[in-house]
Amino acid sequence: MIAAFSPFLALRYLLTRRINLLGVLGVMFAVWAILLVDSVFAGFVTTIRSDVRNSTTQLLVTDLPHDTGYDAVRLALEAERDLVAATAPRLRHHGMFQPRRAPRGGERRVESSQVDFDHTENGFAILLGIDPLREPEVSGVRGWIDRAPTEFAERGIDRPRATVFDESDPHRRERLLVPDAAEWLARKRAGLPIEPHSEDHRSAWPGALLGWRRIRHAPQLNPGDPLDVVVASFPSDGKGGASLHTHSIPLAFAGWFASGHRMFDETTVLLPIETLRTLLGHDPMDDGAIDLVTDVAVRLRDEVAGSGLVAAQQRLQAAVQKVLPQGSKPCLVVDWEQQNEVFLSAVAHEQGMMQFVLFVVMLVAAFVIYATLHMMVTQKIKDIGILSALGGSPRAIGTVFLLGGVTIGTIGTLLGLGTGIVSALYLNDANDWFYATFGLELFPRRLFDLPRVPCDLSPSWIAKVGIGALLLALVVAWLPARKAARLHPVTALSHE
Amino acid sequence: MSPPVLQAKALAKSYRLGKNEIPVLRGIDLSLAAGETVALLGASGAGKSTLLHLLGLLDAPTAGEVHYDGERVDQRPVGQRATLRHRQVGFVFQFYHLIPELTALQNVLLAHMMATSVWSWWGRRKRCRAEAQALLEQVGLGERLHHRPNELSGGERQRVAIARALLAQPKAVLADEPTGNLDSNTARDVVDLMFSIQRQRGLAFLLVTHDEKLAQRCHRVVRMQDGVVVS
Repeated sequence: MIAAFSPFLALRYLLTRRINLLGVLGVMFAVWAILLVDSVFAGFVTTIRSDVRNSTTQLLVTDLPHDTGYDAVRLALEAERDLVAATAPRLRHHGMFQPRRAPRGGERRVESSQVDFDHTENGFAILLGIDPLREPEVSGVRGWIDRAPTEFAERGIDRPRATVFDESDPHRRERLLVPDAAEWLARKRAGLPIEPHSEDHRSAWPGALLGWRRIRHAPQLNPGDPLDVVVASFPSDGKGGASLHTHSIPLAFAGWFASGHRMFDETTVLLPIETLRTLLGHDPMDDGAIDLVTDVAVRLRDEVAGSGLVAAQQRLQAAVQKVLPQGSKPCLVVDWEQQNEVFLSAVAHEQGMMQFVLFVVMLVAAFVIYATLHMMVTQKIKDIGILSALGGSPRAIGTVFLLGGVTIGTIGTLLGLGTGIVSALYLNDANDWFYATFGLELFPRRLFDLPRVPCDLSPSWIAKVGIGALLLALVVAWLPARKAARLHPVTALSHE
Repeated sequence: MSPPVLQAKALAKSYRLGKNEIPVLRGIDLSLAAGETVALLGASGAGKSTLLHLLGLLDAPTAGEVHYDGERVDQRPVGQRATLRHRQVGFVFQFYHLIPELTALQNVLLAHMMATSVWSWWGRRKRCRAEAQALLEQVGLGERLHHRPNELSGGERQRVAIARALLAQPKAVLADEPTGNLDSNTARDVVDLMFSIQRQRGLAFLLVTHDEKLAQRCHRVVRMQDGVVVS
């Protein structure tokens, strides 16, 4: 039972003491900040995770021993018919690429064995060899191709969509060959020997797709333009040391891709796996040559999901391990999150730290409530004595101050939730207005290269913040209320 | 014969100051019958206010018993003591002890709100308000209902305190130096009012005072010295 005088007096005390407004404003600001900042961060995280997911395969068999062949692994995986829908080989290596340019009036053409540091058009890259016939079955590579022109258009750049995956001839598609006319024109621009007519030319260079973010390194590339890809090896020199050898191969620029994963788009060059194998010294004409892979991408059947994923990983790992040389270190079968574990955990850690900081803001607001209530109890000691003399129980007297704190917390929380939700819903409009009026960007849109500030405000988070704020107000109000309830009536009455 | 409204039996109270025990009351026997007025006289430090607090269940005795209507009450749980205090006694203090944020009417209404739940109050508030208003009119403050204590004179504040003490219709009023902070004219008016109401309602009054003239108006005078009743 709540005695009638408790809420009556609590309200009177709140209304006549303006300092309580400080507590309300403190809670309101804290709740607003938690909702808005966390929703923006959650939006960024959702976008980042989605982009990372789109750039990754469902499962990846990795950590394979050196000189592992694709066929053996493929057969082992495909034997698990109830799990595996498709597989594709992948070969990873590091190298450099640089566009070839036509010599102009005395300018020396850069040979592929030299690295031209005077130009920004070259760059180090992760060379990812893919099988263009199998890769679309296990990854979103076709979507990456489609997305690139959109990314450019949003930045006012006009670039055509790559067509190498649209080739009807699988032999041309397998080598990512650009249209014959495009390569002919590119050779002509580069000053290379060409047929008199473009109709007579047949594309010969394997194609290479660059991540769209590399455009700042190679702004003038057109489809078919020659690229040199260079890799290095360190064979023994026979004298106990090693020597540096570079290997290069001419490729044709086949177009841009945009997976959405910033690091992947900045660092990766996609090229046919056979081309990369050749670059690494494997002769495709040699019957004894292995179909070298470093990883195998896997797409599972649709019915395998959720809790079945872990079991599938374990089964596939066991199946592949059986076909690897005895004594090999265990291979790994990792899902998309495990493939990007370090990056995703850094993002999650950052989000956790940010939430902790916001919680501290909330604690500060709670301390304001505590301080104002404690001050009120101290100033109302005599009133507490009067209430005791009138027949008020200690519990009912404490309830006066508890209700005061809860009221401050409730009003502050409701105001904070309201302003937080409105701010989140109209964030981009407000951001645009601030920029147009003051030249200030409160939330930089280009921070993660996104056209709009993402905002992910979930009803469950709103509820958690609201309930958490109310509970915190209740806890910090309880201490002064307890003090009031435990005051001796005689001591209170004689307080000066 | 009905039992006394208030009764103290061998009431003793000591306070601990470090290792020392300071006795304030040393075995007080005192009864207050219905309709009886008793003045408690004594020098400062005699224990008068302490006795009042014990009888009003604001403090617990070190030894002895407090009885309301013949039943021992000093050992009841704190919540029950608060309820008994509300029903049995009304307090009037020297310094009025009004809540400054409330008007005269609201201060008096507090007495009704003490032992009523929020839900019960909602159904009774109009009736209680009317009672409080009538009481304030009876004490001559019909025109000052909505004034806060800082807008009232000393005498008016004490009248509000008297009205508050009477609203719950207690059986006894415990007044601790009710005129101690008033000038002589105002004090006389307040005392006249108190005794008038006492006669009308047949209340028991226990008055702590230094004023011999006021004491002589009571049915009985009890003198205290060094924590004991001397006469």
